[in-house]
Amino acid sequence: MENNTDIRNMEFVDNRTIKLDKTINDLDRFVLKFIRILEKHADYVIVSGYVSILFGRSRATEDIDIFVKGLNKESFDALYTELKNSGYWCLNAESTDEVYSYLQEGLSVRFADEGETIPNFEVKFAKRKSALMAFADALTVIMADDKIRLSSLERQIAYKRYYLKSDKDLEDAFYIENLFKERINLGKVELLQRMIEDEMA
Amino acid sequence: MKWLKPGKDNREERMNFVEYWAEYVRTHHSNDWSRQQNIIINSQLQSARSVRLTPRQYLEIKGEICRR
Repeated sequence: MENNTDIRNMEFVDNRTIKLDKTINDLDRFVLKFIRILEKHADYVIVSGYVSILFGRSRATEDIDIFVKGLNKESFDALYTELKNSGYWCLNAESTDEVYSYLQEGLSVRFADEGETIPNFEVKFAKRKSALMAFADALTVIMADDKIRLSSLERQIAYKRYYLKSDKDLEDAFYIENLFKERINLGKVELLQRMIEDEMA
Repeated sequence: MKWLKPGKDNREERMNFVEYWAEYVRTHHSNDWSRQQNIIINSQLQSARSVRLTPRQYLEIKGEICRR
């Protein structure tokens, strides 16, 4: 698409890559530090609230939701060891076997700075079709020397508007839709709506 | 940029502000919007960190498992 639809300080390098020039905040720093470790071990996408916050939404959050593509036990052990060595702990359990079994069951586990509870990362293995598909059309955001992978704008809108549905989520969806109005594929949002509703049925 | 339209109720007021702020972010330099946003985020984060919930207390609120 043409650059004349770019939002100030958000340059679409292509349809799936945005260069974002912003003054990073404490939450961004918290996310970037964790992602630098996670990306060495796993394919991930950030979903939900942090996506709209990264793009300027005027609210904070206590947890950052992340889908991870299923890892085998050996790869998970390596990730868990590096997280622990880097000053994180898992809020749910200490034993790597136990943490891994929760993820395998489709439950989410939370990681925070050791000794802290919030903010934290809510990590889940992507199992459902809609979660797995989030990897296929993920968005890459480039900020200075860092890259973050997010679920697509359309997926973000659909997930918040038709699955989560709280006031906060509806506002997030409305914000993304307004911010990126020339870029949103409304047909894709409708398709995702149907998929979400089918999964919930 | 359009003025912020008052809402008839709290929900409409909030949505109008969300729309207004999205337009602000679209049309203003990141130094302007991220400086303002960072005041909210940094202070909320600081405030959240000062609430010393244990993992068990926090996960109970969330309805999640804690084996610590």
